[in-house]
Amino acid sequence: MMLVPVTYKGGIYQHDIVEDLIEDLGGYIVQKHILAQEVVLQCFVPREDIGLIREISRPLFGEVTDSPLVGTEIAIVSMSLEIHHLPHPSCDIAEYVRRLGAKSNMVSLARGPGKRIAGLNDEERDVINEHDIAVYLLGNFETCIEYKMPTLRRGIEVPIVLCGGPDIEVLKKIIDPPVDGYVGNVGRFMRRTKEADQLDKLDEIVAEITRVLEKKRDSIAKDPLSVSPARLMGVIKEKIPEILDVTSPTPLTVQMAGLRVKLPYDTFAERLRHIEIEDGIQLGDIAEVLPSRMRDYILVRVLPFSETNTVI
Amino acid sequence: MLAVEYFEVECPEPLGGEIYKQIANDVLLDHNLLKVVDKLHIFIDPKVPVFVAVGILRKITTVVRVGDFANINPQEGRMTLVISDETYLAPMLKIFWERFGKEKVEQPDRFTVILYDVPAQPKDIEEIVVADPSESVHKDLIYALRCIAPEGFRLRSEVFTGSKFFFVASENTLAEDISTLVAEKFALMGEVPP
Repeated sequence: MMLVPVTYKGGIYQHDIVEDLIEDLGGYIVQKHILAQEVVLQCFVPREDIGLIREISRPLFGEVTDSPLVGTEIAIVSMSLEIHHLPHPSCDIAEYVRRLGAKSNMVSLARGPGKRIAGLNDEERDVINEHDIAVYLLGNFETCIEYKMPTLRRGIEVPIVLCGGPDIEVLKKIIDPPVDGYVGNVGRFMRRTKEADQLDKLDEIVAEITRVLEKKRDSIAKDPLSVSPARLMGVIKEKIPEILDVTSPTPLTVQMAGLRVKLPYDTFAERLRHIEIEDGIQLGDIAEVLPSRMRDYILVRVLPFSETNTVI
Repeated sequence: MLAVEYFEVECPEPLGGEIYKQIANDVLLDHNLLKVVDKLHIFIDPKVPVFVAVGILRKITTVVRVGDFANINPQEGRMTLVISDETYLAPMLKIFWERFGKEKVEQPDRFTVILYDVPAQPKDIEEIVVADPSESVHKDLIYALRCIAPEGFRLRSEVFTGSKFFFVASENTLAEDISTLVAEKFALMGEVPP
């Protein structure tokens, strides 16, 4: 059964029918938002059953769309939190990828701006490495990008998509060794992205992120995970009811190869390790439970089949 | 950029310069400064790195009076002011309180102010000067130029006189002969530095 990421949008009336249907089909709901009279479900559903969901939700005016970014956590790396970068373009981009299903976090560097003075500290590095992908938003001058990029990428192990003011060819030329994705002509700007050409640029960024993530997905598929993070999410929700009291928008954040659990590490890590998933297999057997550098959260990294010899 | 007589951004990287022209335009527009600036020349060299902005200001002669943003309806024993723009509401109330006393000034809602038995004619009230935008123009301009300049450039030298200004910023210690560079940029606009 191949699960594909989709977004369901529909009215609040009888939306529980759709929720039940997705769960009965073996799909997982990763995020659920209720906005006034509208419900948005970001979920993984079996590819062959999308037609069925469309059919059943038709009387409810529901709409099912592909969203390749569901189930990913993206770090939008902004050089600082000053007026120079916020709200445009950092927030615009973070918000745009969120609309397509990703969970985006803005990582702002303490000493990001400038050329010679730019730097990346260990906490920032570790936080970025906890994500599936890092989107670097740099400035308009190729001299500065060329000079500061080696410092800013030091120790980063996740794929990087680089956005900068110069043309894409120039970016490709000045970055050595190459990063995974480039988007040109998106540097610092001080106006809201609302014109058609600016929205096209945002689409270009999303397309590049999707392309890089697909590559990562392919490499994961070669050595599949012992358990799907979305399934793990359901199990944790069931076994640790305290998670339901967490007020964060996404108490359990699904990543491509893991999960962020927004509960204190010291109190819950042991309990989490001993959760039984199926047939006596515990979570600790097939995943690493690590302290996250983001607050005192827990990071669960699911191990691949080659290390555990189990797939559930 | 119709209001500005001269506006140039000079940069060794043509594309970067173009984007910075857009940024400067957006920031000045956002801060309502386009009508204040007469000439502006920006020079950025990311290699040094240095950011220089030199310019000439226009004289702002207009002051904001009560009549500019409020309609006065005189009635028996009182005057009702209908406010169309809230921007200067707070300084206006402050002036009324000082001049007439708090007990004679009432504000039932956001857009209405009522004055009771004040010893003044509606004409006099209309003429009261509420704010002088030229007072804060230098402060606003420095803030705007800080927004335009690349963020890492935190070492600054700025001079703002009556009608001329220059703003130099860098992330390294500024060179001692920075005034030569400033004079050069002023010369491009056909002016001399302050």
